[in-house]
Amino acid sequence: MIERLGLETTQLPTTGSSMVTLLAVGLPLLLGVVGAVYRPTTRSWPAVLVSLLALLPLLVLMRLVVTHGTQAWSLELGGLTLYWRANGLTLLLLLLTQLLVLASAAYAPSYLRVVVQARGKGQVWLWPLMGLLASSLSVIWLAADLLALYIGLELMGLSAVGLMLLPGRIEALTAGMRYLLLALIGSLAFLLGVALLLGTWGRLDLAGLASAVEPGPVLWVAMALLSAGLLLKAAVFPLHAWLAPVHGSAWTPVSALHAALVIKASFFIALQLWLVLTPGAVAAAWVVGVMGAAAVVWGGLLAWRADKLKDVVAWSTVSQLGYLLIGFPLLIGTAPAVAGIAWNGIWLQLLAHSLAKAAMFLAVGNLMLATGELRVSGLAGASRRFPLALLSFGIAAISLVGLPPSAGFTAKWLLLHAALAAGQWPWLVVLAAGTLLSAAYVFRVFRYSFVEDVELEEYEPVPLKMDLIALILALASLLLGLTAAWPLALLAMSGGAP
Amino acid sequence: MPPLDDVLLATLPVLLAAFALFDRHLVRACSLFVLFALTVALTWWQLGFAWLALLEVLLGAVLTGAFLFHALGIGLVRLTPTVRLIHLRDPMPWIWRRAIVHLAPVLVLLGMLMAALASLPAGESSLAARWSGLVLLGLGLWTFALHAHLLRRLLAFNITGTGIFLLLMSLVANTSPAAGQGLVITGLVVAWLGTALGALLIRRLAALEQHHEATAANGGQAS
Repeated sequence: MIERLGLETTQLPTTGSSMVTLLAVGLPLLLGVVGAVYRPTTRSWPAVLVSLLALLPLLVLMRLVVTHGTQAWSLELGGLTLYWRANGLTLLLLLLTQLLVLASAAYAPSYLRVVVQARGKGQVWLWPLMGLLASSLSVIWLAADLLALYIGLELMGLSAVGLMLLPGRIEALTAGMRYLLLALIGSLAFLLGVALLLGTWGRLDLAGLASAVEPGPVLWVAMALLSAGLLLKAAVFPLHAWLAPVHGSAWTPVSALHAALVIKASFFIALQLWLVLTPGAVAAAWVVGVMGAAAVVWGGLLAWRADKLKDVVAWSTVSQLGYLLIGFPLLIGTAPAVAGIAWNGIWLQLLAHSLAKAAMFLAVGNLMLATGELRVSGLAGASRRFPLALLSFGIAAISLVGLPPSAGFTAKWLLLHAALAAGQWPWLVVLAAGTLLSAAYVFRVFRYSFVEDVELEEYEPVPLKMDLIALILALASLLLGLTAAWPLALLAMSGGAP
Repeated sequence: MPPLDDVLLATLPVLLAAFALFDRHLVRACSLFVLFALTVALTWWQLGFAWLALLEVLLGAVLTGAFLFHALGIGLVRLTPTVRLIHLRDPMPWIWRRAIVHLAPVLVLLGMLMAALASLPAGESSLAARWSGLVLLGLGLWTFALHAHLLRRLLAFNITGTGIFLLLMSLVANTSPAAGQGLVITGLVVAWLGTALGALLIRRLAALEQHHEATAANGGQAS
């Protein structure tokens, strides 16, 4: 598995590729700071243009990797060495990050104009924090040693907390304070795990650790600490209670970014560490798989019973993340053929869920703005007034439930296939239950919105632009299912040239 | 038998941390925390990490202390705290559910950590730092689990963090000090940023609550 992560590569990097990478990491932050000075308050095209500018170095890097294969660099800082690498998977995640930030940046100016015209205080901070979030996520995807991962994780956590606090209302601040304390405790656990690894084997680069570590109490305790910290940050089943209150009061574009990317980054680090450090820990991987199964069912039930619209979407994130965790027992200790299928399934599920969840948050945000209602039952009569927002919600739901031809369907099909091939049939039951539950909570929203005999008295349609952005993201998650061969080809491109 | 100043430098931070965490009076607790950070800086100096000592004084003592006092509403001019100094449920009443949910993870973590550390050899010089790190970690987590006042939790977080830094440097002092210093510096900056954000939040929440109560009281008089 370690060669799929691109950590062990023999070839030297192409000239100039490290500069391009630094540019790809640093540019979002720089542009975010510029965005704070020249705030795009009236139009969204400057934000779109600037986000497209941040995409440019990434496209150059993509060309380099596709033609020359996996790139790996080391960066000397005093007595420290930081390791980086870019392979197909990294590129896919970088591209996803930039595209979702682009969508949020395009959505935000109109949203802010509608929602917070009176209170303009938090807006100044939105752009630099969004830039910092994009940069720190890029660091996480690219990093190949624990120090860089720790720096990326901390910057991401702090910028995510900051973004959640921006509305400035008392509920947002209370939830944000709780999130801050949890994030800080999670990072302390991570640091303690790193300390044990560094103290025992004296190195931090993942490729070196992979060959150096020996099974024993130190490794197990270190992995338990690292996993606990990361799973807390990823809102995995028993540690998920903080998620919905945080989303409940956050701004819509921020919620979309958080559910689509921030949660996934912790998952990505956890999976990477497991594959590198404990590739033989089958029993522990089953424990994580069972937690994932519980998350699928419990998150689905919570979403089904939720009263508020945003809670439905937030709990559905907990449920969908469970599918990713089921990948642990399918990847660890299984035959290479099975692991290969599960590998594709996991990353496709991550891409599909990120796009669909961002689309769903934006669609729900539009519905809430238009009706002025926070609750699911408040949607009565919405179907006639806001067909576009409901259409986006529906298309995103197709991918979340996992109906063909969406990417969610392809991903679940691959996971199902892997579970069958590995003979791990319990996951089949979980996948079926998860599909039924997600259909249940999606149709509950539709049932209320198609109530016809209620006249909406007060409603205010949102600008068409906001509806279109949600629709484009939803369509992307649907079309990704039809063009799944492209991301899978990028994933398959390991060590050498494709 | 280690020399007296080593023993003193290892026990002083622990004692100060314990006083800072268990003092009922929050202003005194914050002052004790600043003293604690200064003794930790001395420990870094004595272990031979001058840069860490400098950063600990600057970030850990001066800037974190400033934000902690700011959270209490104490500035250079104004000396009486504006924020509520006690939390009604502080420390939380002892019930079995809370003991299992909050304290069990802390105890499990400490047990696991002891088991892992038992297999790692420690030099004469780093043994004291390792033990004071462990005790600080335990003290901080214990307080974090049993207290509800946000400022008290920030203090507990800072002390837990310091414990982890001491533990980390005692583990890596001989093998790879550069990487360890990189981690601790990142951790110090993050802890300071987190404390600053938390302190600003505490002030803002207190102001909003006061405003809320004031409007509620006015509404009551009007009706």
